[in-house]
Amino acid sequence: MIELKNLTKRFGEMVAVNRLNLSVSGGEIFGFIGPNGAGKTTTLRMMGGIIAPSEGSVMIDGINMADHPENAKKRIGFIPDRPFLYEKLTGMEFLKFTADLYDIEDVLFYERSEKILRQFSLYHWADELIQSYSHGMKQRLILSAAILHDPKVIVVDEPMVGLDPAGIRLVKDLFRSLATKGTTVFMSTHTLAVAEDVCNRICIIHKGSLIATGTIEELRLKAQVQEGDLEEVFLILTEGESVP
Amino acid sequence: MREILILLKPRFLSFKNRAISGNLKGRKIRFLLFATIGLAFWGGTFSIFYRVLTYFHRLEEFGDILAYKLLSMAIITFFSILIFSGILTTLSKLYLSRDLSLVHSMPVSREKIFLSRWIESTIDSSWMVLIYSLPFFLPYGIVYNAGPFYYAMLGVNLLSFCLIASSLSALMVMVVAIFLPAGRIRTVFIFLGLFLFLLLLISFRLMRPERFVRPESFMTFMVYLKNLETSHSPFLPTTWFFDSLRAAFSGTVGNVLFDSALSWSCAIAIIFIATWVSGAVYFKGLSKAQTVPRRFFSSLGFKKRGYEFFLKFLSKPARAFVVKEAKTFLRDQTQWSQVFLIVALIVIYLYNFSVLPLEKGPMKMEYLQNLISFLNMGLAAFVLSAVSARFVFPAVSIEGDAFWIVKSSPVSIRTFLWIKFFVYFVPLLLLSELLIVVTNILLHVTPFMMTISIVTIFLMVPGIISMGIGLGAIYPDFQSENPAQSVTSLGGLLYMTLCIGFIASVIVLEAGPVYHVFMTGIRGASLKGFQWLWLVGSFSVVLILCLMAVGIPMRLGEQKVSRYELGHYEISEKVHKSESIW
Repeated sequence: MIELKNLTKRFGEMVAVNRLNLSVSGGEIFGFIGPNGAGKTTTLRMMGGIIAPSEGSVMIDGINMADHPENAKKRIGFIPDRPFLYEKLTGMEFLKFTADLYDIEDVLFYERSEKILRQFSLYHWADELIQSYSHGMKQRLILSAAILHDPKVIVVDEPMVGLDPAGIRLVKDLFRSLATKGTTVFMSTHTLAVAEDVCNRICIIHKGSLIATGTIEELRLKAQVQEGDLEEVFLILTEGESVP
Repeated sequence: MREILILLKPRFLSFKNRAISGNLKGRKIRFLLFATIGLAFWGGTFSIFYRVLTYFHRLEEFGDILAYKLLSMAIITFFSILIFSGILTTLSKLYLSRDLSLVHSMPVSREKIFLSRWIESTIDSSWMVLIYSLPFFLPYGIVYNAGPFYYAMLGVNLLSFCLIASSLSALMVMVVAIFLPAGRIRTVFIFLGLFLFLLLLISFRLMRPERFVRPESFMTFMVYLKNLETSHSPFLPTTWFFDSLRAAFSGTVGNVLFDSALSWSCAIAIIFIATWVSGAVYFKGLSKAQTVPRRFFSSLGFKKRGYEFFLKFLSKPARAFVVKEAKTFLRDQTQWSQVFLIVALIVIYLYNFSVLPLEKGPMKMEYLQNLISFLNMGLAAFVLSAVSARFVFPAVSIEGDAFWIVKSSPVSIRTFLWIKFFVYFVPLLLLSELLIVVTNILLHVTPFMMTISIVTIFLMVPGIISMGIGLGAIYPDFQSENPAQSVTSLGGLLYMTLCIGFIASVIVLEAGPVYHVFMTGIRGASLKGFQWLWLVGSFSVVLILCLMAVGIPMRLGEQKVSRYELGHYEISEKVHKSESIW
């Protein structure tokens, strides 16, 4: 469903992402972890078609993002790390805006939007301006908008930031249920417990390069750790380095 | 005092770091460009005012009255501007700045935070008024042969004048903030300011000041002014400033010092009161500012929408953007309130044409009417460019931090830019054609001139809008808190320059052929061969020029925005920005 081939991004002299090769199947929840400045957000933005790679390609459901960006984007629900929205629209208007961009039929939109808004506890706020929403509510609204068009792939950057425990539980359940229905979730996160809890496979990226991919057990083997959680594995594999 | 200086340090350091980091060459060019424009404006104002005062000075009996009246009016105007600017700046510094949470979490008293913010606000709201007040005050010293004492006292009194205005503004804002959330106060003050400006503008125009050029009216005006020679209230800072300057012309040291002492003691007293008030109410207002004000008009509920019917002909993505643009515009008071200003300017524009004394002109009336109508095409297009600079040029930047939505959506950048184009094209075309048709009707022009005007404007408007969208996309500023201000950037300046060049080219190209067609029409003759050739050639070039003005900026804008990369972290962003923009 997702294929990254030699994906590279340079900003001037600095290489943010270096020859990244990844393949993620349909229905998989894929965790993308790494220290600060490792290149996670840059990779996700290239996958979402927000920035262009310097080299390499992003294939979504067999469609090359560089050649057919509109078609590829139609298959993605993109959730950025920071919830910047059109503050002067109401929550419902923002959903309608998104629905129109993705060409969703009106009848279907009303049916789905009501359900999703209720699911994310935003229904009673639907007619309020987004500027009056809290950070967590904005995050939930973006999540609602991202799943509105029933995408084949969810690309999500730090999904748990700003969410309360109930929100975190909701998102975890949502990702699991979407994956069961065949949706691929590509998730970047610093919350290792969440990654450990929901992801089928995890990839560790460091200084722009992929250093390990696999299930938790496979990563443990690679880190030569018999027991211990993802945090320990992560610290060993990244040698405890962190870019401030 | 130490804490206040520490609180002011980030501002100073940011200013210093901005000066030494980033793209120095680009910044230097921009600085030189704006400094030249500013200096030219300063010099122009100085020279005009100097000439006016020299003329007044030569008039016996009325000259001094006029000069003093002008001085008093200038002082009142500057004071009003200082107060208004002070209110908006203080409001922002005290209640709306992003760093307030950080500052208030520090172990510093509220009074000290207030004082540091007030100092910043005083500098921000006064420096430009101070600089541009000098071309008004300096010529008085020169024309009235005032000595160094005048200039010294001018400096001393200007300072106290700014301090009074700024501390009064802070006091007003703090008191109002107890009752209204800060966001709402800004709206109220913006409306109040806009309303007062419109009132002044319309009443000034309706006074028809051009009548005073006529000798018979001028004498009546003089008598009226002489009657107005009454003293002002002795309790106003403007009166102290005026009296001290007037006394300084004649070198009456005692009076100057007395008025200056009044002004300074008043400034110190208000600063003291404001600091005391800040201890009592600033925090209360700040807490209120954290809450979002209730909407004036709450939503009717999403399903009760009527506009969809009118937009049925558009594709869904296009409709989504049109609705978003319209709603964002209508809900942002800083945007839609300016429509009032545009309406007032249009009314005045049309009124000017209705009172044109064409019958008193030295040329034949029919010729004059059509000549003015022809030149009016350029003027109307220029008005449109100014309106576009305010609304169309920032149209891409206005997406701000939410631009990721556009980038991640299944809509191409080309489509996005063309949607933006049509959102502004339709209303602005209607506005321009309205201006042209109504002014032509007021001028009683020939059908030929009416047709030429309508067609030319129809051809020019897409070019002007396209340049606005295109250049706005080439020079986007997604980080700006107020994208409308992007018009003052290098891109905005380039946009206005290109618009003027474009309009002038079209007018010059059409002038020759239109003159011949018009004159042969008046003489009842027909066009000769070379005149036909000239006509077809010129209009073909105009058409090509207009098509180029539409196509090229949109294409370049599309390329630039497609390459624009949002959201990568700070270091890479700096590197990339310096590469891509300059």
